[in-house]
Amino acid sequence: MSAGILVDALLTGAVAAATPLLVAGLGELAAERAGVLNIGIEGLMLAGCFAAFAVTAATGNPWLGLGAAVLAAMALGGVFAVVSLTCRADQIVAGMAVNLLAVGGTGAAWRILQDRGLTDLPAGSGFTRGWTGIPALGELPVVGPLLFDQYGMTAFALVLAGVLALVRRRTRLGLVLHGVGQDPHALAASGVRVLGVRWGAVLFAAACAGLAGAYLSTMRTHAFVPLMTGGTGFVVLALVMFGRWSVGGLVVGCLLFGLAESAQQGLQSLPGARVVPHQLFQALPYLVALIALALAGRSAPGPAALGRPWPER
Amino acid sequence: MIAARTVWPALIPFAAAVAALGLILAGLTLVGYAPGEVLATAWRGLAGSPLRLGIWAQEATPLLLTGLAAGLAFRCGVLNVGTEGQYLMGAVTALAVLLALPPSVLSPWLAALAGAGAGALWCALAYGLDRWRGVPLVLSAILLNVVAARVLGALVEGPLHDPTTAAPQSALVPEAARLGALLPGTALTLAAPLAVALAVASWLVQRQTALGFEFTVIGLNPVAGDLAGIPVESRRRLAALGSGALAGLAGAFQVAGVTWFLSGDAQSYGYAGIAVALLGRLHPLGMIPAALFFAGLDISGRQWERRLGIPHDLGDVAKGAAVALVLAAGFFRGRR
Amino acid sequence: MNGPVPPPRIAVAGVSKSYAGIPALDGVDFQVPAGVVHGILGENGAGKSTLMKILYGLVRPESGYVRVDGVDLPGGSPAAAARAGIGMVHQHFALVDDLTVVDNCILGAGRGLGLVDRAAWAARIRQFAGRLQWTIDPQARIADLGVGQRQRVEIVKALLAGGGQTRVLILDEPTAVLTPQEVDELIPALEALAAGGTTVLFISHKLHEVERLCPTVTILRRGRVVYDGPRPERDAMTRLMVGEVPPVLGLHATASPGESRLEVRNLEGGGLHDLSFTVRAGEVVAVAGVDGNGQEPLIRAILRDARAVTTPGLAPEDRLGGIRRLGLIPDDRQHEALVLPLSLRDNLVLKEHRRFPFATSWGWLRLGRWRAHAVDLLTRYGVRGGGPDTPAQDLSGGNQQKVVIARELHRNPGLIIAVNPTRGLDLAASADVLRALAAARDAGAAVLLIHHDLEELLAVADRVLVLFGGRIREAPSRERSAIAGLMLGSPTP
Repeated sequence: MSAGILVDALLTGAVAAATPLLVAGLGELAAERAGVLNIGIEGLMLAGCFAAFAVTAATGNPWLGLGAAVLAAMALGGVFAVVSLTCRADQIVAGMAVNLLAVGGTGAAWRILQDRGLTDLPAGSGFTRGWTGIPALGELPVVGPLLFDQYGMTAFALVLAGVLALVRRRTRLGLVLHGVGQDPHALAASGVRVLGVRWGAVLFAAACAGLAGAYLSTMRTHAFVPLMTGGTGFVVLALVMFGRWSVGGLVVGCLLFGLAESAQQGLQSLPGARVVPHQLFQALPYLVALIALALAGRSAPGPAALGRPWPER
Repeated sequence: MIAARTVWPALIPFAAAVAALGLILAGLTLVGYAPGEVLATAWRGLAGSPLRLGIWAQEATPLLLTGLAAGLAFRCGVLNVGTEGQYLMGAVTALAVLLALPPSVLSPWLAALAGAGAGALWCALAYGLDRWRGVPLVLSAILLNVVAARVLGALVEGPLHDPTTAAPQSALVPEAARLGALLPGTALTLAAPLAVALAVASWLVQRQTALGFEFTVIGLNPVAGDLAGIPVESRRRLAALGSGALAGLAGAFQVAGVTWFLSGDAQSYGYAGIAVALLGRLHPLGMIPAALFFAGLDISGRQWERRLGIPHDLGDVAKGAAVALVLAAGFFRGRR
Repeated sequence: MNGPVPPPRIAVAGVSKSYAGIPALDGVDFQVPAGVVHGILGENGAGKSTLMKILYGLVRPESGYVRVDGVDLPGGSPAAAARAGIGMVHQHFALVDDLTVVDNCILGAGRGLGLVDRAAWAARIRQFAGRLQWTIDPQARIADLGVGQRQRVEIVKALLAGGGQTRVLILDEPTAVLTPQEVDELIPALEALAAGGTTVLFISHKLHEVERLCPTVTILRRGRVVYDGPRPERDAMTRLMVGEVPPVLGLHATASPGESRLEVRNLEGGGLHDLSFTVRAGEVVAVAGVDGNGQEPLIRAILRDARAVTTPGLAPEDRLGGIRRLGLIPDDRQHEALVLPLSLRDNLVLKEHRRFPFATSWGWLRLGRWRAHAVDLLTRYGVRGGGPDTPAQDLSGGNQQKVVIARELHRNPGLIIAVNPTRGLDLAASADVLRALAAARDAGAAVLLIHHDLEELLAVADRVLVLFGGRIREAPSRERSAIAGLMLGSPTP
């Protein structure tokens, strides 16, 4: 095996691992900009993960699965919004409740799926790599493995990142989102409906989380396992903070984390790695996230009204 | 006036529990199950015999302990959502102690101590990252949950692995080192009365001591607490350590008295504890029925699955729904 | 005269609004023609802010109507108010600190959610500011601007929202936070606006500014219009605003001050420069000054600084919580003094909860004592609206402040620090607070009163210090105009 192939594999793996983080992270970034911290993103991803798999398994059409993932995550995101925005409960505990709902709901529905024998995707129904349909593009050096020998979700994530960066810098929507998370009083005084904006941001974040979940179950793997998100959503929260609530920072954070994940898998497959239990390797990316946050320190305060209910009293 | 203020909010969790259960029943009725049969199955599973009652109490014990853990921290304004990781670290530390020390009557209690210490340390790690490195407690705690699960997995397959099997599980705690059952045929141990005693003690501390009053004040308004001369930081630290210790204790008792070994499989007593605390409205005595409700759902879920073919995870849905309803009813408002 | 008489620029007729059954506005009528600066006057709680919210569409009136140039203004919609040409400058600026001027203007005055053309907006900002003889840097971040500049941004933003067609510009207490120079510069700008045909509604309770600016006024008291017409003389205006409640005056000490209870020596830092003063037993030392001139760091130092600040007979670590020696009435009672969801019983014992007789030496609470204590204090201090079990949040502002005063003063502490203790209270409640402070002083306490309201401050102060730009100066006398001059930074006369 030449070093070049190894590096290619490492980078391909990194981009593949970074993609769901970026998609979900962009949604969460928008929500946090608007002042909403949704710990339930883990549960939303799980819901998307399951819905995409179940609908694809039942219909054989992965696009329907993708739609189902978005709808399921948005429905659950709506529950979060009702509890935390409309009823003004603490956002963190509301997110925990959403996670519980998602774990229970997907677990129960998985049993039903098992009973019906729908535990595998029909052959050829999952998404495949090389989204352009032109295999030659995947052969290109560097950009081939990074961009073209990936699922369409990767391209979508990059486009979404570009759109969000544009929205943030160049549109009034971006200013409204920023203002609602920074100083909702000022926005309300100018006649902006703060709750409406937050609802919109939460639903958008939910849709993104649903897509990220679908990526896990109908693209990266063609399978569903209960609890298969396994903390990915929490990593997304860490990455949004690590990227200091900017699109560029998030992209960098996702790539770094994807690299750690990819390297971790690479290390595991090394001949001498057997002596170390593979769980320790699996813990590595989470430790990396923690250490990165600890090193980044307090320098990034984030949206001033993050996590606070509106209206305050 | 007093009645309206204190009695009515206390009823909300019960109403939420009933509503959540009703939701599940309605769903099951829609897909063709007889609600009467579903309920009867649950009831037989829970209270059909003294043995069943014992199992119910046994299942509620770790939930009550992790609930008390979350409640203690939340009341003081420390959002310790890391009870899961603290529970796991408590469990695995206790297991290590039980396997390493020569078995004796004292073993389970030493293990409990070690577990509580490990839980407190794991919480201190999260709290310290928040305090000194600016990583929000919510994030540090929740990431450490994931790390704890992996560390446990590694230990179970590594140093603590049962050499007689290829399955990813630890060796068995020797019989002499286990916490004895109070009721033959169940794993109901002294942990259960101890948990109830801890709930009562928490309630007394909260209601009748200056420390408990200070916790409450800080949780509701840290600025006023500070200006009233309460050492806010040290009180919060104390609540965080106590919370971690309680969660670790839950894990330790579970290993010493109920499971006697650990596997890499997912557990969720720590997460469920947060839900128990919220459903009990952070009231230590309110957490007793809340823990029983959650344990009841777990047991009923398994009964439903075995006898009626209903997925047991529906119990988890009911838990989430109950908590969401309590929150939606205006409990635990976000703070400014 | 030729042609029909045009309708008034703004007409308010029969407007009423009540909150929880208590009328905030009760049949308010008045009219203002185009191109004038018109004053709307009233005490706190007279209904000024409710009226403003109705004019700007944030609140819908229960009855009556508002017309702009004869056209009905649909209630409850800030967007409709903006379309009708009404601009609003809030007392608390509606600006997002970490955004630039141009972004704030796009947020506050723009429409839709689409792409923005910052260069065009910046040009318009410069143009609108230029008309008022102002220069504003559109690229500046709000956080880097002073209060006066921020207000200019607010005004320009309001004008931009009207697209140059602003018919009515409402300014809510615009001078509350400004320095005298800034006020001097604001006034010609408003006159220029009026000359250009915009009607300016100037909401204030500062009579000398109203005298400089407003030829006509509407005076509100308890939700009703008590006067509408040409501006009366100052005494008449005061009487109309305040009614027949006698002003609290002359609560001064009769005995000479005793030993020193609070000594501040060469206090530096946090924007303070070499502050020194002493407060003695039996005197009220008042610190006058416009908010933001160093009040916050001064209070922080008095409560926590162990070096530059000494409190004879009271260890620094006991300043907080030791209410037998130091009574503290902080600025924001709801956020700093009370725990709103807790009962009055708990709030009244807070700070003493570890002490005998409220707890044993082991920290075991004796709740029976708590209750008796609460009942006693609630009666003694005349707190209305709740008993020992009532949550503090259910009380009115005045009664909440009585609870704070009861807790902080009932032990007759030797030193009392009070910060804006009448903020947001009506006249009767304010008078009660000032009398309580004077009574404590007469009983031998040293009182440091840091207060934004000069009239009230003069009513109880035995000595007046003036805080300006982080420096403190002793006023040579209690003469109002001299102190006002010092507050605004003028050199000693």
